[in-house]
Amino acid sequence: MNRSVMWMIVSGLLNVGLVLLIAPFFQGVLRKITARIQSRQGPPLAQPYFDLLKLLGKEDIESGESPLMQRFAVYLALAAVLTVACLVPMGFAAPMNSAGDAILLIYLLTLCGICTLLAGLAAGSTYSLLGISREMMSMIALEPLFAIAIVVSALHSQSFRLDSVLNGSVYAIGGFPWSGVLMLGVMLLSFQAFVQRVPFDISEAETELMEGPLVEYSGPKLALFKYAHMAKLVIYSALFVALFLPWGSGLAFPLGWLLFWAKVFVLVLLVTLVAATHARYRIDQAIRYFASLFGVALVALVVASYGY
Amino acid sequence: MIAREMFEEFKARFGPLIQRADLPSDNRLFVFVDRSAVKHVCQHIFRELDARYVASIGADDRPFSGNFLVAHNFAFDHDHLLCSVLSYLPADDPKIDSISSIVPAASWAEREMRDLVGIEPVGHRYLKRLVLPDGWPDGKHPLRKDVPWNQVPDEFDSEREFKFDEPPEGCTVVPFGPFHPTLDEPAHFRLYVEGEMVRGCEYRGFMVHRGIEKLAESVMGYNDIPMLAERICGICGCVHNVAYAQAVEEAAGLQPPLRAEYIRTIMLELERLHSHLLWVGLACHIIGFDTLFMQSFRIREPIMWMAEKISGNRKTYALCVIGGVRWEITPEVKAELGYTLDQLESEWTAVVAAVSKDKNIQKRTRGVGVADAALVKEEGLLGPVARAAGVGIDCRRDHPYAAYDRVEFNVITGQSGDVWARLLVRAQEVFESIKIIRQCLEKMEDGPLALPITEELPVGRMGLSSVEAPRGESHHFVITGENNRPRRWRVRAPTYQNLQAVPAMIKDQQIADMTISLGSIDPCFSCTDRLETIDLRSGAIKVWSQEELLKLTRAKKA
Repeated sequence: MNRSVMWMIVSGLLNVGLVLLIAPFFQGVLRKITARIQSRQGPPLAQPYFDLLKLLGKEDIESGESPLMQRFAVYLALAAVLTVACLVPMGFAAPMNSAGDAILLIYLLTLCGICTLLAGLAAGSTYSLLGISREMMSMIALEPLFAIAIVVSALHSQSFRLDSVLNGSVYAIGGFPWSGVLMLGVMLLSFQAFVQRVPFDISEAETELMEGPLVEYSGPKLALFKYAHMAKLVIYSALFVALFLPWGSGLAFPLGWLLFWAKVFVLVLLVTLVAATHARYRIDQAIRYFASLFGVALVALVVASYGY
Repeated sequence: MIAREMFEEFKARFGPLIQRADLPSDNRLFVFVDRSAVKHVCQHIFRELDARYVASIGADDRPFSGNFLVAHNFAFDHDHLLCSVLSYLPADDPKIDSISSIVPAASWAEREMRDLVGIEPVGHRYLKRLVLPDGWPDGKHPLRKDVPWNQVPDEFDSEREFKFDEPPEGCTVVPFGPFHPTLDEPAHFRLYVEGEMVRGCEYRGFMVHRGIEKLAESVMGYNDIPMLAERICGICGCVHNVAYAQAVEEAAGLQPPLRAEYIRTIMLELERLHSHLLWVGLACHIIGFDTLFMQSFRIREPIMWMAEKISGNRKTYALCVIGGVRWEITPEVKAELGYTLDQLESEWTAVVAAVSKDKNIQKRTRGVGVADAALVKEEGLLGPVARAAGVGIDCRRDHPYAAYDRVEFNVITGQSGDVWARLLVRAQEVFESIKIIRQCLEKMEDGPLALPITEELPVGRMGLSSVEAPRGESHHFVITGENNRPRRWRVRAPTYQNLQAVPAMIKDQQIADMTISLGSIDPCFSCTDRLETIDLRSGAIKVWSQEELLKLTRAKKA
């Protein structure tokens, strides 16, 4: 085995480990700040770690229509998220840069949504089915936004290679990067939906659908789903930073790396603030909102194809 | 004067069919009507005189008069008059013409009458069992006087299942409740859903009957019942406590001391404050806005502390006895209450300012769960639901009790009749409550807290009492009786009326709006479910019989 493959595996594992390690911490920050906004004390920052450990230690109960699919869905969900972790630069170059391209990235992210679909089908209850129908509707409206952002970036860098796409290439043209700035706006406005937080936690809506697709999950399987959910927040934030906020990533090791995570942290704060100050949208209102963003994204795509 | 005029008018119109009338005061009228004329008299009152339907009561009066008794209560809100249309039915033929075709709001009350007392409403269109548990044998009526309060009939069949109606074609059934995160109490809605749209629903409730009325009529005394009455509701208990005491006082012709009336007013308004703050919080939670949920609970907490300072309890105040109250408001408490109210007012002003400009909340609540003025009239809707539709009814002003005729306040109304209007109405009512308590604290003079009552209360008298609960009018009807307890005590909580309109409110709406529409009437299922003799539940899962489940829950885990 040659050196570069070794390096790829080691750094890939590093990224995965880092995401697993840091995701519950961000969740803890999110909960703590939410609590403060709500005049509550809030749980300790380490609470999500304890929650996961507690759930992992519980009895593994099989329930719902199809227990096998239920298990498969949750493994797939976490696996898909962690695979994405290998493809995203997190303060360094993406570990598996040469193993895949931006198209693979889009597929993998869609796969996370598919897992929710499988989970809901496995439960087979009316509420989970309602949940997945909402999940599918918002996925269909949302995924193109992300794909367009990547395509805009790829158009500017003339390549689908990860290291060129995920390097702030949305702005990489001479003159003012109209399409890049448009997409930055679109992604900022839809970011809450990608990480499935209020006001776009429609498919799980506790007070309407009783957690929808997750209704039959408990114990270790629920822990893994929650883990995947937390990891998603980190991954999407990292992707966002890589796509749109590349400045400073070229700095020497500790500085560039620290700056990267500081930017991710700021994004998490933003998500927290929006979640704490909004009510949940209804699915039709959300879809209308996504549709208008999609319109803007299409304009950005056209503009980008003309080289602006 | 108005009561007498009304009676003269009835006599002129219906002649000998009007048998007699009691006019205990100028704002109460009890008309005894031949049973053949009840429907016509009710039609005249409800349609031509445009009165508001309040409640229907069935009573087993056989041990006393040899007859069954039916009463339909109406309110003339502008004339400050509560009117009861009563009719005696022979013991061997307890049938009466249903009024639900004229007064749709009476539908539940008539079904309840049929279940519990065995009075048959002839011509009622939907005579499905409402209150009794599924396994209860037909032909047994627990509120009849010959049925002991603790009897379980031998024929009780725990295997018998509830039969749901057929859903309309093309709709799937989405079960909502009895256990759902937004329903804090058991009630079951079978939603008929097309895609995300609700096309109709069937309600199945009365799952936790506690037999409160029967218990009161069989084993408790006049002064024990207020403590039972306030346990009817988990939030607005004091309302039932006061309403019961007032109904008995009215029947017996007692006038509680002034100071007691002020203290009742203060406690009722404290209750409204904490109930409205709770509702705003819960409504926000339902639409996913947890920050305001937490904030309104924080703002609410000092009110609970004040209630505890006054009565020793956060919620169950044990306030009234017949003829007065049990708790004093000391000068220290008075000062502290004033401070708490100032605090509340400034914090709530900030919240209301923030909420009323919030587009996000408006998006989820405008045009949702609409109940217009016509529906309010037909279904007898009450409280903030009616006021949000522009129907300005408020018992505090229309049928003043306690000290409400000595304080000034506004009746807040809205226009659009949707959830948003209800939110605004409740938010503003908080300020009115603060105003009322301040005036009471100021005007209250020293004096005794309760009447000394040394003699037996008179027997066979009737009393009505309407108290404006946070959710709407709570109506109590009492017939005094022997052995230091009432013969008949009927409670009509506001949710009993408001719940009947929920199917109309959620029809052709998104399923996502179901929870907030239901939540917007501030449903109180325990109030509605208050009636039944024995807490027996059937409908257990098929695999388990009820006995097995009971055994399972009682078995000690090894």
